[in-house]
Amino acid sequence: MLCLMKGMLLKQVFALSRAATPRESHLCAAGGALVSCHRHYRSRPTHGIGRFKYLLPKEAPKKKKDKVQMKEIDVGTEHEYGDLNIQMTSYDMCLVEHFAQYVHRLCNQLSVRVKESYAMPTKTNEVLFLEERGSKMQLDAVLTTHQRVVQISGLSSTFAPILLEVIQSNQPEGVHLLVKEHTEADFKSRLKSRPELEELLAQMS
Amino acid sequence: MFPGTSGGRGARRERGGNMAAPVSVMAASARWGRRFGTAAAPRPWRLFGAMCLLRPPRITQPLEKEEEEMAALMAQIELEKSQYSDHEIRKLQEEEQLRRRKESAYDDEDEAPGKTVIMAQDLEDKWEQKLLQFKAAPRITDADKNNDRMSLNRKLDSNLMLLVKQKIGNQQLWLLPQVEWQPGETLRGTAERAMAMFLGDRIQAKVLGNAPHGIYKYKYPRAIRTEDTVGAKVFFFKAFLQSSDLSQAELKEDHLWVAKDELGDYLKLEYLKKVNRFLLDL
Repeated sequence: MLCLMKGMLLKQVFALSRAATPRESHLCAAGGALVSCHRHYRSRPTHGIGRFKYLLPKEAPKKKKDKVQMKEIDVGTEHEYGDLNIQMTSYDMCLVEHFAQYVHRLCNQLSVRVKESYAMPTKTNEVLFLEERGSKMQLDAVLTTHQRVVQISGLSSTFAPILLEVIQSNQPEGVHLLVKEHTEADFKSRLKSRPELEELLAQMS
Repeated sequence: MFPGTSGGRGARRERGGNMAAPVSVMAASARWGRRFGTAAAPRPWRLFGAMCLLRPPRITQPLEKEEEEMAALMAQIELEKSQYSDHEIRKLQEEEQLRRRKESAYDDEDEAPGKTVIMAQDLEDKWEQKLLQFKAAPRITDADKNNDRMSLNRKLDSNLMLLVKQKIGNQQLWLLPQVEWQPGETLRGTAERAMAMFLGDRIQAKVLGNAPHGIYKYKYPRAIRTEDTVGAKVFFFKAFLQSSDLSQAELKEDHLWVAKDELGDYLKLEYLKKVNRFLLDL
């Protein structure tokens, strides 16, 4: 039965293509098999082919003003560390970025889950040079400090010393490395403070 | 080591070997005990905790030939692709002005009255002078030249670890400092005690974790083997020296600071194999 149907369909398709060829032959010839000269009109049986969005589960509508919620900080059990922050600071941006990339890739390779990888805002310091015979301070240099943070979670306590040793031995010159547990203060330091809001809150309470 | 229970164990063994009927139940229970109750029975191994104290490298290793060539190539590419910085633009502008002034025969000399303008070229000269005054410390120190294995200043670009001469049995051997484990103490505590014994209390070393990094197990020769002690197990821990200031340390016995490739001169083969397994050579 099915093969009969298939055969009929094939014959139909053949008929359609033969009908199409004399008129749109130049279009069909260019592109070969990939150019389809048949569009899936509503009257055709192929209408709606390729629809899939109705099969996906419904997503909650995303509000525009979504407050950045703090993700739950994992405290960690006795044999596993919770959220750890690997903070790398340096004056040289390329070096610290490359090192952060290296640490991220190393964790990926060693199947350590990397939760987040972000940069803290750069701090600019002006180094003022006091002249020998004079009271004026002269600008000597402008130093920018860059910091990158890689946040990992689920590091087992037996593997932690090995990972730390590898990162320590691959540390480039001029990069400070700090590994510490993630706290709320660390999360809050990434957000900007709103003095007006705080003032109003203080007034209210 | 465990005098009370060892007698009991020996007695159980005899009973197990005896095939007499009233003792068969005891034999069965003894066999059960040996299968499940290893926690209760005294272990025939003596436990030692050893500390592998590492002095981390102070300078980076020199680049290989290919790395150097690559670095030079990348630097050249970046230079050719880059744009002028503020300082360089300023320098070019000032050079232009100077040239124009010379050509136009000091026309706008009145425009530059008493104010002293610091030119970019002057700044560059000043910086050059500062750079010439700076003198970097040598990479190859005196200790390297003399091959003084007792000093910490040798081989600044690789890990150095501490080896001590200890008496094991009736031989004096070069080993990582080790000390026997006492019940009621963690193995990490044993290793730290070993370190404190050889280097004094005020040593600033950091152990990264509680888990041992390696284990070396050896059986005593048949002559010394008794009921209790078949052999010894040595658990290795790693610690990193925070400061290379060892003036406060009281070094009692012979000690050496060696790099990984020189370990073979001092350690026995089997011991060396197990130690090499947990040493990172970067």
